[in-house]
Formats: sequence, C-alpha cells, structure tokens
Amino acid sequence: MKDTVKKISFLLILVSLFVPGIMAQGTEETKSVWDSLIGFWGGTGFANFEFKYLIMIIVGVVFILLGIIKHWEPLLLVPIGFGILIGNVPFTPGYQIGIYEQGSVMNILYSGVIQGWYPPLIFLGIGAMTDFSSLISNPKLMLLGAAAQLGIFLTFIGAYAIGFTPAQSGAIAIIGGADGPTAIFLSSKLAPELIGAIAVAAYSYMALVPLIQPPIMKLLVPKSEQKIRMKPPRAVSKSEKIAFPIIGLLLTTFISPSAMPLLGMLFFGNLLKESGVTERLAETARFALINTITILLGVTVGASTQADRFLTWDSMKIFILGALSFMIATAAGLLFARLMNVFLKEGDKINPLIGSAGVSAVPDSARVSQDMGLKADKNNHLLMHAMAPNVAGVIGSAVAAGILLSMLG
Amino acid sequence: MNLLRINQFTDILVESGFGILVVFVALALLVLAFYAFGKISRYQFKKNKTKANQAKNIQPATIDEQDDEIPALEVAAIATALTLFFSDVHDEESNVITIKRIERRYSPWNSKIYGITNLHR
Repeated sequence: MKDTVKKISFLLILVSLFVPGIMAQGTEETKSVWDSLIGFWGGTGFANFEFKYLIMIIVGVVFILLGIIKHWEPLLLVPIGFGILIGNVPFTPGYQIGIYEQGSVMNILYSGVIQGWYPPLIFLGIGAMTDFSSLISNPKLMLLGAAAQLGIFLTFIGAYAIGFTPAQSGAIAIIGGADGPTAIFLSSKLAPELIGAIAVAAYSYMALVPLIQPPIMKLLVPKSEQKIRMKPPRAVSKSEKIAFPIIGLLLTTFISPSAMPLLGMLFFGNLLKESGVTERLAETARFALINTITILLGVTVGASTQADRFLTWDSMKIFILGALSFMIATAAGLLFARLMNVFLKEGDKINPLIGSAGVSAVPDSARVSQDMGLKADKNNHLLMHAMAPNVAGVIGSAVAAGILLSMLG
Repeated sequence: MNLLRINQFTDILVESGFGILVVFVALALLVLAFYAFGKISRYQFKKNKTKANQAKNIQPATIDEQDDEIPALEVAAIATALTLFFSDVHDEESNVITIKRIERRYSPWNSKIYGITNLHR
C-alpha cells in the first residue's frame, strides 16, 4: 500500500514538472497540428471522392465477382478487377502514387504495357503451352483463323467512319482479334492514350465469349450442318512439330515483320516445348514467366482505368466497336467454314461450328464450339478440331496487328 | 514504314482490303507449306515402316493403311478429357469442417478411472 502511494506521488511530481512546459509550447504548435490534420483529411480518398470513381469501383467489383463466381476468365478478370480498384482509389496527385505519375511504383510496372514488352513475354508462354498438332494435321483449318480477322479490318473502317484517327482506328479494331496481349501491343504503339479502354474491352469480351458467340452460331449455322462429324485428325510426327515453329516464323514474319515481337516469341516458346531438349526453359515460360507477367499485366491494365481518364465517350465508343468487331469476327469464321464446305468433298467437310474459334480467345472459343457441337449431337466432340482455327487465330491476329502497325505506325 | 498515307476514307477501304488479303496470303502459305511437309513426313514414315516390316518379314498387305490416323475412340477420349480439364470438373465440397463427436464412455483415453491410481484394498 505504501509503495502504491509512493508511485502515485512520484507520477504527480513528474506531471507537475512537464505539463506546464507542454502547455506553454502548445499555443504556437496547435495551428500546425490542426493544419496537418486538415492536410491528412485532404489527402484521404473520402475528401477526393467523386461519383465517377464509385462507378469504376463497382465495375472492378463486378469483374472480380464474374471471375470468382462465374469462372469467366478468372486469371484475367480477377487481376484486372483488382487493378481497377487500385486505380480508382481517389488520391491527391503529386506524391508519386498514381499509375500516371512518373516514378511511382505502379507507373514503373505499367511501363511493360506502355513500352509493349509484356505481350511478347505472354506470347512466349502461350507458345510453350500450345500444341499445334491439330493445326498441323489439318492445315486447311488455318484459313478459318484468317477469315475471323475480317472483324478487325471491318471495325477499322467503322472506327474511322465515326471519327477516330487512322492510328486509333487500327488500335481499336484489333479488339476483334480477341487476343489481349496483341491488343495491348498494338495499342501501345498506335494509340497509347486509349490503351486502358482497349485492353479492358478486349479482355472483357474474351471473358464474355460464352455469351456472345452461341447466339451467332445458332443464327448462322443450320441444324443439319451443326451435326457434321469431322474426320479424326492424323497423328503428327515429332519432326513436323519441330518444323512448325521454324517454318511458321519464317513465313509469317517475312510477310509481316512488324509482328516479329509477338510471333517470334510465340514460335520460340513452341520450339522450346517441341524440341524436347529444353524442357526446363519451356516449363519456366509456361508457368512461372507467364503467370508473373499475367499478374503484372492484369493489375496495371486494370489500374490504368483511372476514372478521370477512362470514363469518356471515346471509351464508350470503343466498347461498342469492340463488341461489333467480336461479332463480325465470329460470323466471318462461321460463314467461311460454310463456304469451305462448298468446295470440300463428302467426308472431308468441316463442322462450321469450329469457324467461330478462329477469333482466337484461346481456349474459350474452342470450348464454345465443343459445347455447341455437343448440344447438336451429344457424341460429336469438336474440341480437338476447334483448337486448330483457335491457335490459327492467334497467329492471324498477330499478323493482322503487324500489318496495321506497318501501315499506320 | 508508312506504306500509304491515310487521309481519305477510300484509302482506309484499300488498307483494309489489303490487310485482310495479306493475312489470308500469310496463312495460306503456311497451309501449303504444311500440306507439303505433311506429305513428305508421311511418305518418310511409310517408307521407314515398310523397311521395318520387311526386316520383320511382314507382308505389305497386312500394313494398316490408316496407320497415320488417330482412332476415333481415342480422339473422343482425349476430347472428353480436355473438356473435363477445361471445365475444371471436380467434387464440389461444402468447405464446412465439422468434427463428429464419438463418445466412448469407457475408453482408456477418457475414462476417469484410468487417470487415478487404483489402490488395492
């Protein structure tokens, strides 16, 4: 008890010694503390809040939920959705926080998008995980991948007609290639100011492939043709698989050298896979590397959709043009498959449902062809056949991007 | 690298026509290259097989002409496996972990009688 009394007395002495001093200084410092509190409030997201940020935050949350609940391209929609949240937290500019502020962490990561070096690395991974056997075994299906690129060039005309510059039109049109990395690569070169809207549109429509394509497929392919059974593909030798990336690279890039960064990496990745002697490198490309780049690409593209730059009429137009581009590409693939059937003899005919897979969007569009084929005939598996135009679409859209870049760049 | 100066709408139309044509040409060349390469490859494969069969004294008539095609059933199995893989089909689990309590009143592990020293009386 005595100890407690001693302790309390000591405490009181200390307080009596220091508090008057603190109070004396307080009159001068109170103002600056108050100012810093006001400054702190001014820097918070609440003080900088505007309604447009809320809209984008809702869009981000919708993306995340679509990825998680509906499983629509979760590897893309979840990072992009979260990136949208990051990019739309209101802040006071000048502290190197935002993605568009030079030197900020997000800005440094975003350089991979702006300088266009993420997409070729993604292509390296895609090449290392893609099996081109179905394409090699039935090369004529490659033409479906070319036909589906019609969406790109018709949208190019459409975008120019509604007032975009030729370079912007080319960047917007590539959304029809249904290939996110290609869209980012081309828009970073032709119209960097539209890159956020183009990337988000491209990835959104890729995720929406299971919704966009089936109605067009039902509309343009008669029931009888939906049931066509295709000849099983032949076995492909190892030498053919090794030759494909080498011949593919030389032929396509001699025609369209501007597509070299994309096609070079795609075919290089495939050679790593097929050569059989570089398995470690192929493994890294198809797992660690592509996953790392996908994370960085997704988050930074999402974060680039800062409301003040993203919510514009141009973005709305880009979304509408992107949807049209996708639909035209799907329709072109389907109709070209039907046209090919006119010239093919019985037994060699192709099921037009695989034509829609020519839009790229690997492997979702091939999966849609498989599902639609099974709906028409529950024993007709089209997935292997659909993978051919699907991967041809990747090559076709990269060639188209190269052509647009060389003409408009 | 500007091949054409684009100022007018007609130029855009020409550009588009030219663009799609080039895409077709590029992929058509690939088609031709792989038809040719495929034929050479199959010819080589058959030649090697014939040689191997001759070495084993197997009559040419018994060689299956459809050797280079994957059997339809195999293709269906692969397609199904791919579908299942892509659609990520697996058991849906409730994610609720419960510990089912089983009472063993006289188990040596919970019986009080084993926890005390039994004195002989």
